[in-house]
Amino acid sequence: MAEGGGRGDAGDKARDEFLSEAQELVDGLGRDLLTLDEGLKAGRVDPELINDVFRGVHTLKGLSGLFGATRMAGLSHELEDVLDDLRLGRIDVTPTVLDLLFQAVSLYARLLTAQSSDAPEPEREVEQLLLAVGQLSQRRGGGGGGVVAQYELDPGLLGVLTEYEEHRLRANIQQGLALFRIRARFSLATIDSSLDELKAQARPLGEIVTYLPTGSGANVDTIELEILMASRASLSALQAAIVGPDISIEDVARRIGPSARPAHAAPVAGAASAGASFAGPGMVAPSATPRHASGPARPSQEPTAGAKTPSIAVTPNPPAAASLRGPAPNRELSLRSASQTVRVDIRKLDRLMTVVGELAIVKTAIAKLTDRVRRRGAEPRELSIELGRLNRTFERHLAQMQSGILEVRMVPLGQAFDKLARIVRQISREHDKDVNLVVTGADTELDKLIVEELSDPLMHMIRNAIDHGIEARDERLSVGKPPIGTIALNAFQKGNHVVIEVEDDGRGMDHGALVAAAVRRGIVSPEEAQELTESEMLALVFMPGFTTKEVATDLSGRGVGLDVAKTNISKLGGVVDITSDVGIGTKMTITLPITLAIIHVLLVEIGAHLFAVPLASVEEAIVLDEGKVRTVESRDVLTVRGTSLPICRLARLFGLPASHRDGHGPFVVIARVGARRLGFVVDELVGQQDIVIKPLGKSLKGVRGFAGATELGDQRIALVIDVAALIEEVLLPGEVRFLAAAEDSGRRNGTLEASRRAGRT
Amino acid sequence: MVEDSVSTRAFVRAVLESADFATRQGACEVIEASSGFEALRLLPRGPYDLIVTDINMADINGLEVIRFIRSSAHHRATPLLIISSLHGEHDIERGLALGANAYLPKPFTPEQLGEMCARLLGAERTRVGRSEPPSGGP
Amino acid sequence: MPTLKGRTERRAARRAGETGKRVEYLAFGLAGETYAVQIAHVAEILRPPPFTLVPRASETVLGVISVRGKLVTVIDLRRRFRLPPAAIDRKSRILLADAGTGEQIGLLVDDVQQVWRLASEEIEPANVLGGEQAPHIAGIGRPTASDGAMLILLELRPVLESP
Repeated sequence: MAEGGGRGDAGDKARDEFLSEAQELVDGLGRDLLTLDEGLKAGRVDPELINDVFRGVHTLKGLSGLFGATRMAGLSHELEDVLDDLRLGRIDVTPTVLDLLFQAVSLYARLLTAQSSDAPEPEREVEQLLLAVGQLSQRRGGGGGGVVAQYELDPGLLGVLTEYEEHRLRANIQQGLALFRIRARFSLATIDSSLDELKAQARPLGEIVTYLPTGSGANVDTIELEILMASRASLSALQAAIVGPDISIEDVARRIGPSARPAHAAPVAGAASAGASFAGPGMVAPSATPRHASGPARPSQEPTAGAKTPSIAVTPNPPAAASLRGPAPNRELSLRSASQTVRVDIRKLDRLMTVVGELAIVKTAIAKLTDRVRRRGAEPRELSIELGRLNRTFERHLAQMQSGILEVRMVPLGQAFDKLARIVRQISREHDKDVNLVVTGADTELDKLIVEELSDPLMHMIRNAIDHGIEARDERLSVGKPPIGTIALNAFQKGNHVVIEVEDDGRGMDHGALVAAAVRRGIVSPEEAQELTESEMLALVFMPGFTTKEVATDLSGRGVGLDVAKTNISKLGGVVDITSDVGIGTKMTITLPITLAIIHVLLVEIGAHLFAVPLASVEEAIVLDEGKVRTVESRDVLTVRGTSLPICRLARLFGLPASHRDGHGPFVVIARVGARRLGFVVDELVGQQDIVIKPLGKSLKGVRGFAGATELGDQRIALVIDVAALIEEVLLPGEVRFLAAAEDSGRRNGTLEASRRAGRT
Repeated sequence: MVEDSVSTRAFVRAVLESADFATRQGACEVIEASSGFEALRLLPRGPYDLIVTDINMADINGLEVIRFIRSSAHHRATPLLIISSLHGEHDIERGLALGANAYLPKPFTPEQLGEMCARLLGAERTRVGRSEPPSGGP
Repeated sequence: MPTLKGRTERRAARRAGETGKRVEYLAFGLAGETYAVQIAHVAEILRPPPFTLVPRASETVLGVISVRGKLVTVIDLRRRFRLPPAAIDRKSRILLADAGTGEQIGLLVDDVQQVWRLASEEIEPANVLGGEQAPHIAGIGRPTASDGAMLILLELRPVLESP
């Protein structure tokens, strides 16, 4: 646990809210920075965006302080200064500055994770970043205080402007925009949407500086606002664009003559006299300038090395920047959120409540029926019909509830994709390559748990694509490719699965080179190498032996973390396929089941035991015609409607005696995951059912082929078959046996021969 | 309590509605407003014994809320506490000038918040001379 | 009227009390011998419900059962300790063992006997049996208040961690 956890008295609920809110803020920061980055590339800087980032960091500072996350607070403190400089125009927004901000966001993410788990805090990296950030911060006075006095603005209004709003006002005036006053009256009940409308109308024409509620508040239903806006457009243009029932616009008159004494000096003087109303210095004391006390010493208090130079923006400061980009760049350890909460669309909850209401009605009907039975001993046939009807209604509503609740757990993949966009930027800069990330289908939804678990595997794949796939600018140009590489992230739903593709337009993978590297590292023997199919060759990158990263541009260098990625995806019940063309690119395809917890299954009997096969992976079930079975290279293959289907006799695989009744079965359940099909031979088909799948304990983790188990009621348990694992086990003997042999013998010399002998199906 | 951060509101609520605070001040009910607009909506539903507000909020900022509160007959004298990350001294000064009674910079401990609120509520009590404990605070 | 046996027990208890802390062990029978485990590690004792076979699991795993909605792996201690197998009968029980490995595991035993409170001098270390003993033997318990009863004390972690 990170330090500063002693706020138990402020409530655990508050702390949960903190983690959730902080996570959202950090995510929002990431998104805003990406937008800023894009804007910067196009030559625009949106001041509102910078202010949003400032406010985000400002809020994070307050929160982390309140909840004892001291390091986060310290980091926020420094960032806030830089962002203040940025939003007040004291520093320019440059790519280097953005880099530091991006790094800060990853550090935030890691600090948050440390708050809710046992992961250590990234102390050193935070210190390095603080150093670099401190050197950025400049203290130059904001110029041009007198311009505001040119306008006839009510001192009352000026007195309620925050420092930032004042700056924006000044900046706009200096740039030659005119000021307008919009008076509007809104109903308090609908003010949010009315205001959104007004903002949308105003945005293209200029900037709104502040909203001031006028009036006495005596009327509880409506509110009057005075809105100050800066714009280059004419009054009539504004009046035409911003319309509403109670809206009037006028210019703010300019003062004639030399500028009067700045109106806002008055409130400052007032503050001194207002001091008398304090209850004493005691109240001010607790604040005892935490600015100076808390956090690292602020470099802006002492003369900073390069701060005296009048030139704008960032002093290059190579040492700090280089050390941050050098041998130990901010590696993203994990992209998982620190928070376990889900934002729910309230309409989903409303629908659930309706179903609960329906269930209540069924309950009443059952009670009435019970009554009738008790009192009149009613006709059994009549009763059974009614009961049957009620049961069906009940089942229907229950199913609705189940899917409703599962829906609540669904979140859009965009959540994971946003974080990946940051990674792409970071890694591309690390490698000095230009990479563009194109995303489609970000609103495809998956169970929140799956989306969380996917962040890391996707990160590994993208890192790989950039490290080894995308070529350096010059190399790309020399082969006629555009200098900017592209990585496409596509997500879409396909039946009961979600497919995610990671595609790059880089070098592609050379099968020959892959195999050669695998042989060199002892992952396969030369003889085995001969027998690999093309897809098996590509799948070699997922072998643990490929984990060592090679500095050379050797294609076989791919594989940092890909084996881990594959394992994680299998744990989610998914599979990964690769296709690649040399010189053109590589595509990795992940296929996943949509939800974890409740699944439709086909119950089957194998050797007098019950098993469940997830229907999501089942294409169909047919009777086995032994006459159509051939043996091809020690594998049984069935011909189904003219095509070949490899089959697996599960009774044999599981070591159980076959138990089908004569003349009835066995059956073949044709299963498919990704591009692979396999027919499972079972003794009986029992029926279809919805089940809740539960995990098997750690003690059984060595047992292959089962995704979990479920209770069928009556204390009967059926093991749920892991279709993807079995398909792999049976269809890709090379791949799986390498893994098995490697695990068993503990080293990479598991030969295909030995494992084939050991585990022939 | 006018504050746009969910968790800060939860924190303040936890402190003010805690048993500890209750033994000193009597039971306290916290009414939350997540924006300046909501504060304006809730204001007429007073009276309130204490108002706690942040400064940096979107659209209507805390200063504007303070000014509005002080201009209404009912809340001209209600104790008003600013909680704010001590970034803009300028902003806090303005707030005090507009009539806030005190400010407590973030981060603060539950004890500091409790102390401060108790003092503000107590001051009011002795001033107005009420005998029952105060009954609420947004 | 306090019996002779009662007085012996009380004297033993007093003597044991003088030397300090006692640990409670649950004794159970397995292939004619009496074993015992610390009762703190036994979450529950159940009559064996029907269990479901897990194909290709290790030999010692009898299957999985459901305990109030949770799936629990059941280990046959006879097989684990290489004792001759036996059928399950009315007296068989499953001990739900929890030794901090993060998972509760069911242990099938022949019958469950009583709880003994053993003081440290009533426990002999494992090597008293001579030579290297299996890691799952923690020692031998000889409760003084009994008639020379001998309890084979089990170390649960090795049993649970490598079924």
